[in-house]
Amino acid sequence: MTAIPHEHGHAHHYTTTGLDHRKIAIWAFIGSECLFFGSLISTYLIYKGRSVVGPFPHEAWTNPSTGQTFPAILDIPVTSASTFVLLMSSLFMVLAHASVVRGDRKYSKIWLAATALAGATFLGFQAFEFTSFVHEGLTPRTNLFGSSFFILTGFHGAHVTAGVIWLITLLFIDFRRGLRPADAINVDLCALYWHFVDVVWIAIFTLIYLIQ
Amino acid sequence: MTSHYRTRRLAIAALTAVIVVGLAACSTTVPNTTLEPKTEFGRAIDALWDTLLFWGTIVFILVEAFLIYVVIRFRRREGQPAPRHVHGNTTLEIAWTLAPAVILAIIAVPTVKTIFTTQANAPRGSLTVEVIGHQWWWEFRYPEHNVVTANELYLPVGRTVNFALKTQDVLHSFWIPQLGGKRDLITNRTNYLWFTPESTSVWNGVCVEYCGTSHANMRFKTFVVPPEQFDAWANHQRGGPVFMPAPTPTAPTDTGAGAAAATQPAAQASAPAAQPQTSGSLPTFPADQLPLYAASYNPVPRNLTIGNVTGDAARGAQIYRTAPCIACHVVQGVSAGIVGPTLTHFGSRTSIGAGLFPNDPRHLALWIKNSPAMKPGSKMPPFGKSPTMPAGYDDQQLADLAAYLLSLK
Amino acid sequence: MATTVAAPPRYAVPHTKYERGLWSWLATVDHKKIGQLYLYTAIAFFLIGGLEALIIREQLKGPNGQLVSAEMYNQLFTMHGTTMIFLVIMPMGAAFFNYLIPLQIGARDVAFPRLNAFSYWVFLLGALFMNAGWIVGAAPDGGWFAYAPLTTQQFSPGLNMDFWVIGLQILGLSSLAAGFNFITTIINLRAPGMHFMRMPIFTWMSFVTQFLLVLAFPIITVAVTFLMLDRFFGTNFYTITAGADPLLWQHLFWLFGHPEVYILILPAFGLVSEVLPVFSRKPLFGYPVMVYSGILIGFLGFGVWAHHMFAVGMGPIADSVFGVTTMLIAIPTGVKIFNWLATMHGGSLRFTTPMLFAIGLIALFTIGGISGIMHSSPPADLQQTDTYFIVAHFHYVLFGGSMMGIFAGTYFFYPKITGRLMDERLGKIHFWLTFVGMNLAFFPMHFAGLNGMPRRIYQYQANQGWDIENLVSTWGARILGVATLVFIWNFVKSRRSGAVAGRDPWGAATIEWTLPSPPPEYNYAVIPTITSRYPLWDAKSPELTADVPHTPEGEKRTDVSVGGKETHASFKGPSDTHMASEVAHPSAKELGIAMPTPTIKPLLASIGLTVMFLGLILKHSVNYQSLWLPVLLAGVAFFVVSLYAWLLSPLEPEHH
Repeated sequence: MTAIPHEHGHAHHYTTTGLDHRKIAIWAFIGSECLFFGSLISTYLIYKGRSVVGPFPHEAWTNPSTGQTFPAILDIPVTSASTFVLLMSSLFMVLAHASVVRGDRKYSKIWLAATALAGATFLGFQAFEFTSFVHEGLTPRTNLFGSSFFILTGFHGAHVTAGVIWLITLLFIDFRRGLRPADAINVDLCALYWHFVDVVWIAIFTLIYLIQ
Repeated sequence: MTSHYRTRRLAIAALTAVIVVGLAACSTTVPNTTLEPKTEFGRAIDALWDTLLFWGTIVFILVEAFLIYVVIRFRRREGQPAPRHVHGNTTLEIAWTLAPAVILAIIAVPTVKTIFTTQANAPRGSLTVEVIGHQWWWEFRYPEHNVVTANELYLPVGRTVNFALKTQDVLHSFWIPQLGGKRDLITNRTNYLWFTPESTSVWNGVCVEYCGTSHANMRFKTFVVPPEQFDAWANHQRGGPVFMPAPTPTAPTDTGAGAAAATQPAAQASAPAAQPQTSGSLPTFPADQLPLYAASYNPVPRNLTIGNVTGDAARGAQIYRTAPCIACHVVQGVSAGIVGPTLTHFGSRTSIGAGLFPNDPRHLALWIKNSPAMKPGSKMPPFGKSPTMPAGYDDQQLADLAAYLLSLK
Repeated sequence: MATTVAAPPRYAVPHTKYERGLWSWLATVDHKKIGQLYLYTAIAFFLIGGLEALIIREQLKGPNGQLVSAEMYNQLFTMHGTTMIFLVIMPMGAAFFNYLIPLQIGARDVAFPRLNAFSYWVFLLGALFMNAGWIVGAAPDGGWFAYAPLTTQQFSPGLNMDFWVIGLQILGLSSLAAGFNFITTIINLRAPGMHFMRMPIFTWMSFVTQFLLVLAFPIITVAVTFLMLDRFFGTNFYTITAGADPLLWQHLFWLFGHPEVYILILPAFGLVSEVLPVFSRKPLFGYPVMVYSGILIGFLGFGVWAHHMFAVGMGPIADSVFGVTTMLIAIPTGVKIFNWLATMHGGSLRFTTPMLFAIGLIALFTIGGISGIMHSSPPADLQQTDTYFIVAHFHYVLFGGSMMGIFAGTYFFYPKITGRLMDERLGKIHFWLTFVGMNLAFFPMHFAGLNGMPRRIYQYQANQGWDIENLVSTWGARILGVATLVFIWNFVKSRRSGAVAGRDPWGAATIEWTLPSPPPEYNYAVIPTITSRYPLWDAKSPELTADVPHTPEGEKRTDVSVGGKETHASFKGPSDTHMASEVAHPSAKELGIAMPTPTIKPLLASIGLTVMFLGLILKHSVNYQSLWLPVLLAGVAFFVVSLYAWLLSPLEPEHH
């Protein structure tokens, strides 16, 4: 019947709430992820301003032994741009879901691709940011700021990567056999995850980049 | 109904056993007890403990007695009608939610009070002692007296002492059970703990935060002495070593492993609050007068031995000047290493290895020969001659070094 | 919903390789088989952890014990704690979650059967990983709490803590996956009429536990990830020279660690709350209050973590706040104890082995609770923390509480799992040896602690006033060792020669007892409709429940229809007599019930995951260091491919 079946294709299975199992599970998962990112963000905040050596996020630092000066490391305009791209991807995600719900095969592909592309662009920005930081002398091994910054944003980036892979998988299925309104739940789950990852980024962007 | 009978008999046996153990535990000598505090801090905690124990015992008796009553009274009998199905009783349930709340309030009020009194800043004029934890020994610094010592803490009776607790490496925790509650030594932080010793004696102290291989072997002794003696001690410790050489045979008959315990006067075992005394002209506590609980007599591994040689302090002093010892240890005017404990007044200390062995020629020579064999994980490498270390010191050299160090009073 | 199933025609069903022998276990997605795998694995680790405890006690039986070295002792106490917490009590809980929750809520399986299999395999491989250190002679030695900076590369350069860090990372993934699964299962697979306030109390306590799991494990995952990155990639989270604060680890660890305590105890509370009513022949006293107190314990459990840190110098305000919140948690816990006592009061108590263990829990957990209150007071705790007083306390909580509850549950549900009862005589011997041994082993530790004996020491000198306590403790431990052997013997022997149990050997009240023992693969031929909290009792003796308080308004007790005609007949019969062994029941295929297809893909995915972590540990090996990245990437690839193969294949056979 279908080239690519899916985990819970039997819609007739009884559930107490009438909701798909996966919908409940993803909410539990998101709740759990809140604690995960909460711990990472708390660590960043606890270690804020406690690094023994620079470079620092918001102020310049001169190495007392070499006399070398490191500028403030965070580039807020560039990251604002990538934040904007990620926010737009959430909008695309909403449109993609709506397209699948109404059975619009053309726009479902366009918006899924747009979402994945926006996610990938965000990752590109992050890769650029990470490499330029390393060139400027900040690695996860440099100081407390480096460790907590790279690991927090790195884990967020890993979540975005997983989301992009998920989106590409959906896109692949859409091309192979088409996502029908009955498949909307699959897109819905991905959308919930994607919006969550976006919201986390807004928290990270505010706490790390904007608040000095 | 034999099974009921057997059940009850077993229960009585178990109860008896618990009581016997409890009584036995109370009747032994308890030199490290937390229940006979010797400071105002310890007494504040002990008062709280009494409240807790009182209410705890009442709750324990009520619950267990009711449990036993229910078990006996409501056991199934032949021909008994099925019990009525009661699903709950709101009044009762509210009652037994409130009752514990009241008891907890009774406990919480003095608790919070005690927290704030005991964690206030130390009173003015208290004696500051910096405690620095190392894997696995204690460094004590007296900034007021410009004194640094290791593993043996001297405190004047009646004066509040404020400990500034730091650590050089991992976490440790500073505890003298009879003097009051412990406090952790946290890397990159300084913690404080203060109390006023109220009587003179020798107390055991330990590290109570797991700190690696020899966590169990990180002990110290606390000598609470009269103020005049404390001042004399501080004056003596501030200066350079008093060179007091004496013949030092490494014969095992002198103070063999475990023999120290056997040779202690029996009377001292039951006198935990023995008064510290001075050793001849020195204001330090004489090692042979230590009460049994504070004596150090860990067994030496059987395969670690030394011949019967007599050390010569003068020869030892010559060896020491060029020995690897100087990289890590201070002897005022001779060497300036800072990694290991100070040795300036080493001969006046009672034990070696952070409270593990008596400070006598034999144990000291063995310690220099191979300290990791005597104290697992010891950071001090073995210096004795061995197949793997042919350039190490022979027994005579070890005995000479021991003689030199012991002469540093 | 409930309709009678017409007897289906019997015909031979061809067996696939997944239906018999080893493959049937490796490929199983049946919650009952997975539950059994958890149970057997946990029992095996109970023996290992117990052996570690016995060696510890032999070492400490007198002053200056010489049985093991300091290094070995440190590994033993670290692994004893880690094993008993993560590899015994937690998987014992998981065994009961798996086996019982679908049965108790009237479901055919969990929401995600393959994820469930994945959880088990990840757990097993993580447990083996954790213990692999023994084989290379470098078992974890930093304590189960693994305080930084001692556990950083600088102070623990060996492989020891690598095994701990990675093992815990793997185990955490297992618990998280299981948590999502059971939350979904309980919310979404309750049979018609099974309102939340009709759920069996064990399922309720498990429900709370799952929330604790999914909210607490992310925190330890982060803490352990930091440590892992520090150890393997040189980051600075706990590097003291970089200015790191060791309290970061402690806060993260205990933010997880205290909810973990309730993860360990709540399932046991649930089991005991199932056992006590049955053998008192009375419903649970104050069911709603029991539920709410469980929720409250779980909730407050997140607000008390720093009571493990009263000695670190947090300042008077933090000490006061955490002291008081800790005292508050005693209130819902106390309510549970009182409600259990009230359940028994006025009942008709039958002292079967499960009942004895349940009573044992009340008696012993009370002691642990009282000593817990004693160190909820921060100043008092300063004299108790890190001494044997604490060791005594948490053994009363975890052995006197969790293990007693687990034993009660094991004896109680063994007939459901195997179809046979465990031997009552051996069971009672086991109980009394455990009860006596446990008190002898752990009660004297209170005195040792108050007399100043620190924890985690491999030797102590004589004349410290600790000799008698330690000797008695060692004898208690030996008795516990014998008790455990009796239990194992009973467990193994009863499987073959125990009395045949029938559906409902105890006269229980909840729907799992309407099923044959052991239940068929699909559990319920027809999903039952639930009309009350105690459907079996209501069906048997309606007059008893005619006028009861606490019954939700408008709820009429009606006779239940459970599993069709043939099962209906069975629970009308006298329950105290053992019913004849079940005849072979129709297969799922014969009944036209779609059950998940067995598959080894979850096992393959878990192997991929483990290989990935194996690659990481190779980074610190001497001989295979160059292989670390290839092995890690191979593991990732294998994991991803297995995961896709799993996600893209249907759960059940296709319908046409």
